Amino acid sequence: MIEVSIQLAFAALTAAIGLALIRLARGPTVIDRILAFDTIAVCAVGMIVLLSILWRTTFYLELILIFSLLGFTGAVAYVYYLSRTDNGDPTSEEAPSPNHRPDRD
Amino acid sequence: MTEVLTSVLILTGAAFILTGAIGVVRLPDLLCRSHAVGKALTLGIFLLLLGLWAQLTDPQVGFRILLAILFQILTIPVASHLISQLAFQKNTPRWRQRPMDDHRTPASTEPASPALAPEP
Repeated sequence: MIEVSIQLAFAALTAAIGLALIRLARGPTVIDRILAFDTIAVCAVGMIVLLSILWRTTFYLELILIFSLLGFTGAVAYVYYLSRTDNGDPTSEEAPSPNHRPDRD
Repeated sequence: MTEVLTSVLILTGAAFILTGAIGVVRLPDLLCRSHAVGKALTLGIFLLLLGLWAQLTDPQVGFRILLAILFQILTIPVASHLISQLAFQKNTPRWRQRPMDDHRTPASTEPASPALAPEP
C-alpha cells in the first residue's frame, strides 16, 4: 500500500516540476523565473523525503536541510541582486540600452 | 496503521504541492503566483515531512525532522515574501480584470456597479 502511495506522490511531484518548468520557460519577467525555480527546489526536497520514506533510512535528513538551505539562499541572492539594479534588467544600471523606455516595464 | 497514516500524509502533501504548481502556471499575476507558492508549498512539504516522521520508528531522529520542518516553515514564506516585495518594488504588471461572472448579481438588480470598473 505504501509503495503505491509513494509512486502516486512521485507522479504528482514530477507533474509539479513539469508545470514549474513551463513557468520557468514562459515567465514574462525574471521574478517569475525565480519563483518557478523556488518551486522546483521545494519539489526536489519533497522527492528526497519520498525516497527516504521508501528506503526507510534517515541518512537524507541532512540532505533535506542542505537542499532547502540552498534553495532559500539562491532565491534570496537573486532577489537581493535584482533589488539593487534599476528596472529588473541587470544591464540597465551601468549601460542603459538605447531603446530603454522607463515608462514600460 | 502506521502505513495508512504515512500514506494519507504523503498523498495529501503531494496533492498540495501539485496544487501549488498548478497555481504557479495558471494564476494571472506575479503576486498571485507568489501567494500560491508561499501557502500551498509550505503546507505540502510540511505534510511530507510529517509522513516521514510517522513512518520512522527511531525517536531520536524526530528532533532532526522537527528542525527540517521548522526550517521549511521559516524559509519558504520568507522567500515568497521577498519575491512579492521585489515584484511590488519593480512595478510588475498587475492583474486588473474582473473576476469570473459566476457570483455576480443579475444586471436588472444591480446595473453597472462602478466598484468593478478597473482602476486607473
